[in-house]
Amino acid sequence: MPQVRIIAKNFMDMVASLPAMKLDRLYHNSFICEAILRSLPPLAKKYVLQMIYMEGPFPAKSLEEWVLADGFSKHKVAIDRLIQLRVFMETTERKKETSYRINPTFQSNLQKHLTSGGVLPREPMPSNITVRLPSLEELDAYALEQWECFLLQLINSSQAEKLTNFSSSMIRVFQRGLLSQRDNKDAPRLTESGFQFLLMDTNAQLWYIIREYISNSEERGVDPADLISFLLELSFHIMGEAYNMNTLNEIQRTAIKDLADLGLIKLQQGRKESWFIPTKLATNLSVSLTDSSTRKQGFVVVETNFRMYAYSTSKLHCEILRLFSRIEYQLPNLIVGAITKESLYTAFENGITAEQIIGFLQQNAHPRVAERIPSVPENVTDQIRLWESDLNRVEMTLAHLYDEFPSRDVFDAACDYAREWGGLLWEDSKKMRLVVKAEIHMQMREFLRGQKQ
Amino acid sequence: MHNGEKKRLNGEAEEEEEDDLDEDGMDAWERTYTDERSWESLQEDESGLLRPIDNKAIYHAQYRRRLRSLSTAGNAARIQKGLIRFLYVVVDLSRAAGVMDFRPSRMAMIAKHVEAFIREFFDQNPLSQMALVTIKDGVAHCLTELGGSPEAHIKTLMGKLGCSGDSSLQNALELVHGYLDPIPSYGHREVLILYSSLSTCDPGDIMETIQKCKQSKLRCSVIGLAAELFICKHLCQETGGSYSVALDEGHFKELILEHAPPPPAIAEFAIANLIKMGFPQRAAEGSISICSCHKEAKVGEGYICPRCKARACELPTECRICGLTLVSSPHLARSYHHLFPIAPFDDLPPSRQSEPHNRSHRTCFGCQQSLLITGNKPGLCVACPKCKHTFCLDCDIYIHESLHNCPGCESLRPS
Amino acid sequence: MASVPSKLYSDDVSLVVVLVDTNPFFWATSSLSFSQFLSHVLAFLNSILLLNQLNQVVVIATGHNSCDYVYDSSSASHHGVENRTIPALYSVLLQKMEEFLIKDEKLGKQESPGMIASSLLSGSLSLALCYIQRLFRTGPLHPQPRILCLQGSSDGPEQYVAIMNSIFSAQRSMVPIDSCYVGAHNSAFLQQASYITGGVYVKPQHLDGLFQYLVTVFATDLHCRSSLQLPRPAGVDFRASCFCHKTTIDMGYVCSVCLSIFCKHHKKCSTCGSVFGQAQADNSAVSDRKRKAPET
Repeated sequence: MPQVRIIAKNFMDMVASLPAMKLDRLYHNSFICEAILRSLPPLAKKYVLQMIYMEGPFPAKSLEEWVLADGFSKHKVAIDRLIQLRVFMETTERKKETSYRINPTFQSNLQKHLTSGGVLPREPMPSNITVRLPSLEELDAYALEQWECFLLQLINSSQAEKLTNFSSSMIRVFQRGLLSQRDNKDAPRLTESGFQFLLMDTNAQLWYIIREYISNSEERGVDPADLISFLLELSFHIMGEAYNMNTLNEIQRTAIKDLADLGLIKLQQGRKESWFIPTKLATNLSVSLTDSSTRKQGFVVVETNFRMYAYSTSKLHCEILRLFSRIEYQLPNLIVGAITKESLYTAFENGITAEQIIGFLQQNAHPRVAERIPSVPENVTDQIRLWESDLNRVEMTLAHLYDEFPSRDVFDAACDYAREWGGLLWEDSKKMRLVVKAEIHMQMREFLRGQKQ
Repeated sequence: MHNGEKKRLNGEAEEEEEDDLDEDGMDAWERTYTDERSWESLQEDESGLLRPIDNKAIYHAQYRRRLRSLSTAGNAARIQKGLIRFLYVVVDLSRAAGVMDFRPSRMAMIAKHVEAFIREFFDQNPLSQMALVTIKDGVAHCLTELGGSPEAHIKTLMGKLGCSGDSSLQNALELVHGYLDPIPSYGHREVLILYSSLSTCDPGDIMETIQKCKQSKLRCSVIGLAAELFICKHLCQETGGSYSVALDEGHFKELILEHAPPPPAIAEFAIANLIKMGFPQRAAEGSISICSCHKEAKVGEGYICPRCKARACELPTECRICGLTLVSSPHLARSYHHLFPIAPFDDLPPSRQSEPHNRSHRTCFGCQQSLLITGNKPGLCVACPKCKHTFCLDCDIYIHESLHNCPGCESLRPS
Repeated sequence: MASVPSKLYSDDVSLVVVLVDTNPFFWATSSLSFSQFLSHVLAFLNSILLLNQLNQVVVIATGHNSCDYVYDSSSASHHGVENRTIPALYSVLLQKMEEFLIKDEKLGKQESPGMIASSLLSGSLSLALCYIQRLFRTGPLHPQPRILCLQGSSDGPEQYVAIMNSIFSAQRSMVPIDSCYVGAHNSAFLQQASYITGGVYVKPQHLDGLFQYLVTVFATDLHCRSSLQLPRPAGVDFRASCFCHKTTIDMGYVCSVCLSIFCKHHKKCSTCGSVFGQAQADNSAVSDRKRKAPET
């Protein structure tokens, strides 16, 4: 199942593109080693694990001996990735004998992890100091609400009930590429990649935002490497535990306020101390690096009569569905809509393709229908495609043809004039012929009359 | 035919409609719901409100009934099962098999479930053999010979689908009788007829053929797809088989799969006997030899007959050279659970669970799932009569239908 | 039960159910002490959990007199662990393991000691399969399960039927059974289990490097197995042993009613009591027919 993704995978590319010095420094943090390991392709993980107690270089040949013929391409991908991330160092001893050496800092960090188990990045605060910590359910609800609030603000500022504390310039950075604004007067519209962004699951979306946040950090005078290491570290905190703010440094303290706006953590204030509580979104940060982020249950049922039932309480889901369907009514946990020709035409006008809509419906199919093949009825998918191709058919426009221009200058001027009015349909500069829309025929005649004089 | 005429009469007026609507005048989306008939399982309580449907409990109750009926039948006649079966599956491919009352047609539906049945049959009866026969144009054809490879049967059947002509029960029985008569006496001879037709067009007296089958101890069973027929019922009564008519696709599947587990062994049908068998060893990897089944040279992955040293590719089989039955010990072991079935578990009434000494059993012993439903109300659960461990309903079904071990009894050393 | 269609593994999220042999009769004779063995296993469990955040590990102890769940990474909470310097995996697992060992020993005292040296593999296999079925019931999005038997005790012949039943059930639900046998001789049960279910059987040569064996072979998830070469079965012995003398035989007689295996011809089946007819005459008839069959 190909998943529509614009960037989600590229976060690791970003790490890989860091200069060698910074990368090596990152590996001093054992949490980053762990997160990097988890992000690797399955085969690469296995190679690392296999070599974790090996001293000295390991010949490439003996590694290849394990690989079956079908798996060779995967093997190459794995090795490339390992070298890219400087987990493996390639050394060529003698002639043609390539061997790999595992990054010693990386190695010793993982060895420590294996023998002592995962150590917590920082001590949670004892429960006698913190008062009324939220339950896990409350925390989940908080994270989800915060995140959806942020997304709503991102795609449609007027819809959001409460705004996050992000500065409008920050929001504009996030919106870059997702929304396009033709005029200052027009409300910004979702671009194609903006729609794809909405289709992604929460973790992938989160990484997109985080990536933008990180790449923007240099402008704010923060080292991206510091931010990356802090974010990855954060993902290894225990969800729902309170951690003292005093343990953070200056950069981290400013970052954590932004993260609270995204719903990654919840901030609380006691009488003397203040603390932060990581939510599910934060602890899942390192999960989303892998491909397993698709493990989410769907909620949409599409029937053969084009009606659509979405079992969701989320306002955001409702907004997404509204992009291509007519929402008929909303119950507390159910959104009922219909896929109509009109609703789809609006979607197509916005640059959303039929395949994206079908892909979204299939990926988010409710578990009860997801088992069926096809999960979205064939007649509906066919019709969506047909309606899209309808738009590409012959269109009738009343028009006028002009020819026998006295000179090329007049012809060119006429073309420019027609273009200005947005009425130019066709031109043939060789034979000097021109077709314009019927609406501007009168203006055109006036213009040509003026030219003659 | 009748149906076709009716269509022709109406058809001229509304030919265009014909494509979209089937004979009941329903749209495609309506049909999926009529097949499921989901509204029939709705129940009302005293005040006329709809009761929530507890599918799980209903499903479990059905399973318990099945299990009990099986275990009582088993207790009545000692636990002896006909483990070595020679089964002929007769598929009626006469004109009647093309009728579309099952979707897409009887024939396609039969083929789909016969495939599942063949796999299930060899899974449960690894030492048995099966063959396929079809009836078409009043003649019976042997599609595949008796053999133990499910893939070969399925492949041949799928390649030969197509129906025409009348059906003849007698021709089919005569053919099968001819094949099954020389089978050794320890084997259970069985015929399973999947009959679509409502008539039989025979060359002679079918009653004589039925008597012949009875004398040769052929156990004939019929699953009808249309309506009950006297001649089928008579055949089954005479030969000790079972006769049933499928109501719908789900029922058909249930009926055909009932024939997969070995039938109780009845002494008069098969004489107990000792069968000489060989337990071949796998040929060493990389050795080249000519296999006796495909008659070509093959490398590695083969079995050597211990008596004549000929090579066979698959087990179980009969050595082509010396006729010795070749099996591996797992094949025998696959059938042992029929002989040592585990006792059905007892229902635990919710009241008993709240007794203090049962408090520790709050999770299923098998899968560790909590047996408490939200609000600390105990859910339904069962207990093994021997080891007294409690299990959830899902584990109960899994243990009896697939695992055939009680995890509780197995994790106690028998004293 | 209909056979499960073959699965394509798109990612490496896995559930590993580890069956740890705790039989004191074996560990008393082994060159590797139980605590050393456990430290290898703990590091291995850690590495499985390290590979993917969604990976899950369940440990079941295979004792001499009982079997029980010892650790489940999905339900192990971080709350309530008093000493936070030791990670939860170690403290919870070791504590439960100790409780189990004491309980198992108590059960053993009631009977005459020492005759049977096997452990209850059939019980722990059955438990593991029940657990995996529960995972299957949660819907299509579950980690890919596999079973790893870490066994040292010799096979218990009385468990043969139960173990075979478990193996076939695992085969039907496409759950591979890997086995790492640390005892002296090969285990025929585990060899068959791994062969039939498509798992890997390894008998390490040097027990000091047990961790390296575990990590190189058994940490391979099902997704990777399609592209890697793993140890292949050398020679699985599928010969049967007769019920009367327990000797391994090439050829023998099988009762047509109960499938008991005998090395000699008997008049009556000792298992089910059936009286046999004339075996030899029938047998020659079969072979006659067969011999003629190819020619016609």
